[in-house]
Amino acid sequence: MNKLVYLIPLFPLIGFLINGLGRKSLSKSLIGVIGSGAILASFAVSLVLFFDVKANGAMAVNPLFTFIQTSTLKIDFAFQVDQLSCLFLLIITGIGFLIHVYSASYMHEEEPQHFGRYFAYLNLFVFSMLLLVLGANYVIMFIGWEGVGLCSYLLIGYWFKNNNYNAAAKKAFVMNRIGDLGFLLAVFWIINKLGTVNYHDVFAKAATLSNFDVTAITLLLFVGAMGKSAQIPLYTWLPDAMAGPTPVSALIHAATMVTAGIYMIARSNVLFSMSEFTMHLIAIIGLATALFSATIAIKQNDIKKVLAYSTVSQLGYMFLGLGCGAYTGAVFHVMTHAFFKALLFLGAGSVIHAMHHEQDIRNMGGLKKKLPITHITFLLGCIAISGIPPFSGFFSKDEILAAAFAHNKVYWILGVAGAAMTAFYMFRLYATTFLGNFRGTHDQEHHLHESPKAMTIPLIVLAILSVIGGMVGIPELMGGHHELHHFLSPVLVSEKAYEIEHSTEWMLMGISVTIAAIAILFAVNKFSKKPEMQDAEGFGKVLANKWYVDELYDTIIVKPLEAVANCFKNIIEKSGIDGAVNGVGKFVQYSSRQVRLLQSGQVGTYILFMVLAFVVIVLIWINDGHIYRFITKLF
Amino acid sequence: MNSIIVSALLGVVMMFSGIFTTNKTAIKNVAIAGLLILLFANIADTYGWYKITVDAKGMLEFTRFGLLFNSIAIFSTLIYVILSGSDFAKVGTYVAEYFALIFFVLCGVSILSCYNTLLMLFLGVEIMTIPLYILAGTDKKNLKSNEASLKYFLMGAFSTGIMLMGIALIYGVNGNFGIAFDIPAPTSPIPNYGILLPLGLLFMFVSMSFKVSAAPFHFWTPDVYDGTPAVFTSFMATVVKAAGFIAFIKLFQTHYFQLLASWKIILPLVIILTLFIGNITAVFQQSVKRMLAYSSIAQAGFMLFALYSNNDLSNEGILLYAAAYSFATIGIFSVLVKMKDYTFEGFNGLAKTQPVLAATTTVFLLSLAGIPLTAGFFAKYFMLSSAIKQHNGFFMVIIAVLFAAVSVYYYFRVIQAMYFKQGDAETTEINGRFKLGLVLLAALIILLGVMPNMLLQYLYF
Repeated sequence: MNKLVYLIPLFPLIGFLINGLGRKSLSKSLIGVIGSGAILASFAVSLVLFFDVKANGAMAVNPLFTFIQTSTLKIDFAFQVDQLSCLFLLIITGIGFLIHVYSASYMHEEEPQHFGRYFAYLNLFVFSMLLLVLGANYVIMFIGWEGVGLCSYLLIGYWFKNNNYNAAAKKAFVMNRIGDLGFLLAVFWIINKLGTVNYHDVFAKAATLSNFDVTAITLLLFVGAMGKSAQIPLYTWLPDAMAGPTPVSALIHAATMVTAGIYMIARSNVLFSMSEFTMHLIAIIGLATALFSATIAIKQNDIKKVLAYSTVSQLGYMFLGLGCGAYTGAVFHVMTHAFFKALLFLGAGSVIHAMHHEQDIRNMGGLKKKLPITHITFLLGCIAISGIPPFSGFFSKDEILAAAFAHNKVYWILGVAGAAMTAFYMFRLYATTFLGNFRGTHDQEHHLHESPKAMTIPLIVLAILSVIGGMVGIPELMGGHHELHHFLSPVLVSEKAYEIEHSTEWMLMGISVTIAAIAILFAVNKFSKKPEMQDAEGFGKVLANKWYVDELYDTIIVKPLEAVANCFKNIIEKSGIDGAVNGVGKFVQYSSRQVRLLQSGQVGTYILFMVLAFVVIVLIWINDGHIYRFITKLF
Repeated sequence: MNSIIVSALLGVVMMFSGIFTTNKTAIKNVAIAGLLILLFANIADTYGWYKITVDAKGMLEFTRFGLLFNSIAIFSTLIYVILSGSDFAKVGTYVAEYFALIFFVLCGVSILSCYNTLLMLFLGVEIMTIPLYILAGTDKKNLKSNEASLKYFLMGAFSTGIMLMGIALIYGVNGNFGIAFDIPAPTSPIPNYGILLPLGLLFMFVSMSFKVSAAPFHFWTPDVYDGTPAVFTSFMATVVKAAGFIAFIKLFQTHYFQLLASWKIILPLVIILTLFIGNITAVFQQSVKRMLAYSSIAQAGFMLFALYSNNDLSNEGILLYAAAYSFATIGIFSVLVKMKDYTFEGFNGLAKTQPVLAATTTVFLLSLAGIPLTAGFFAKYFMLSSAIKQHNGFFMVIIAVLFAAVSVYYYFRVIQAMYFKQGDAETTEINGRFKLGLVLLAALIILLGVMPNMLLQYLYF
């Protein structure tokens, strides 16, 4: 079984090469088949591996070749298949496959060449993501980490003729690079202190690290996670990333790539659990992000923007879980979130498809009848994310909230407030889009249609998963076994156990579910009849404008940087460096013109010079090295 | 000994071949066959398959280093004759004699690589240079060629005088012409060599510096190289100059101890001055031929590093340098000979009219400039790293690298003219075999640039 591991990333890589190189000659249907087939093949192998790991436990690290070797450091290109990577493999390839199938239909209007480019990027993304989770050391993870960042950039800017989209792609890339720098520094720090990057060795030797080192390393790693998983202060790229095609948002910016940060922290749980400070910070940042972006989501009118902020918010919950030591809870939420958020994005895509690229929910309404499958599945997704039992979101979110309660009661209160907001804005979205009367143009109304099967079947599959996906983690409180917890426990060794009395736990659940239910009813009631048509005013305007964070960053970071850069460009670059460079060139040319005159053409002059030079040489010899000693003293 | 005897004999053969045929291609083919025989004879000598042995009473010493250099020199000449041999006819009618002179030069080269006494050094130098005085003046109706020949002869005679003076002084001290001295142990107190021996060595130093055109004894080089017909400049600037270096190094490898501290200031001064004059003056030249003359001075500055560091690495380096420099320069000159106009403007747009010539010339120029993936890079690298290894000569290395950067300016001017300037460079008729030869030579340079050990392994095996 071990030998099969390399196949998993290999299939998407081959798909990438075929689609990328053949994009001008292959037909669209063939491209779609190759692109989706590659992921399906990976999914099949992942399933085999998963059941093997489930039955026999984790496999040994599987080195393919030596990647870097120096006298003190050896880095293998190695894959590690264990419970954690297996779970991620299934999420990536499974949801990835559904989204590939969906894409083949969603993107059908594209020209074949660009269609091929799209699938090539998408396959490359899956390849990179698989490297990220399969790598047996931080360097391989970093390769995948950079790879997914690149693909994210390429896919956000997929419609590169629109300059705003290019700007969004650039923003995502730069924000991610800030985080990547942190990650990279952390890896260097680890190499410096421990002399290895293999997970096994690092975790085995972690105890030898000083407190300061552990805190620094984990903080730097967390900076990396902040960038990739869109946490405060590096989250602003994710909403802008919605410029990309909707399936890309579903795959990269909801289900997989943005959870890389959570994967990384869960993977390094041994290190993180050693630093109290970092854990506190993670919890606080996660909670702050969860609340902050939830408030923004309330006032957004773009269907994808709402989902984007909701993603940021849910990622915040995952970090809250990590910060409270509930690694399983966070990973669990990654999984369920992947189901329902991919579902919601694909549903939004279906709506946008039906509405001919209309994304403003104020121009929708009443789509319930025209898009029955989309409507039902979307509704199921909304219920799941709002945390209503027995849908999947309930179990994972509840686990995180319970851990937060055990950790600090204030976290729990704020977390529940956030959950209420989640329920509110999701059902505001649902109600405005699907209920009430249609508010778009006649033309749009005339063309409204349910999406083709290639799009609705992934929706249905994801909806089923969103509903039942929580079953793998039914807490013991409800008579379940929490299989996920047992499955992951060999990897997540530093999971913090917490004890809450059963009665308290029942009560906590009850409170959060009740509040969420109230928020849902309120939202449906309010927005199904009378959606918000006017632009928000007062405080709502602040929320609609995303707390002016982009403007703030622009003022305090971008503008001063640009000023400094301009200063460098005009003063140091032009007069300093250019001046020096041109000066050297001019000096050389000048001296060339002068020295050339020595060559007079007169043999007598030449011989005179030679004799003079000889006299000088003899003089130096008579001096017997005094000059030499003088010069060596000088320097 | 094989190559000394065979090359002398072949020179005579070439002279006679001129009596039997006037067909220039036939003569060229005889010369190529002769060079192949010579090359084989030298290789046979190297590996001891077949040796002509004449008892020279210890006046000659055949080392692996010297014999390998012979092979490089003969091989370079072979390339040179293959690429440019048919252009001899443009210079004058006595083609067979020109080839004969070239074989005599090779005889001198073979002596210089293996001499063991000052007498043989003197003989080798004279055997090597006297044919060159003639070759420089072969374009008899051209005043510049005559001028070049006469200048070369006058100044060559001057430097020969200096060399004889040096030999006389050393002979006066030692009572013999040997060059092998006992090297004093590093711990022993500084011995006093008196006045005559060091002074004699200074005379030798000046004279040898003249032969390899190190500044400030380089003045003959631009005028002579420029005036000499381009086909022969090519030979003078490559094989002959490299042989001069081999002789120079052999002499001072065992002798610089006598100069002690002054050596440490004289040689660096000469190197820096050579690099300065060569590189800086080349910048302003309008004629590619004259630019190459200055470039040969600049390259000499780099080769002098072998003298400066004087260790195993520099010995390997000088061989690689000799090969890299000779191959590239022969290639450029063979193209230059085909050009109607020797100025930089004459190369304008060559890439359009003769893409193969332009591409291969680019490789040659890159190698001269020392760009990686060409032989010139490793040649320069060996020189500089040997300097660091031996003396911690960072200061010298920095200067050398700066001047190498300047050299990029004038080498790339040719590339710029060929590729980026409008114009139609005119060439004489160019046949496919010539192009093939150029491509093979360029491939060889790149091959050496990737695997320099391909050549250097012969030093040891």
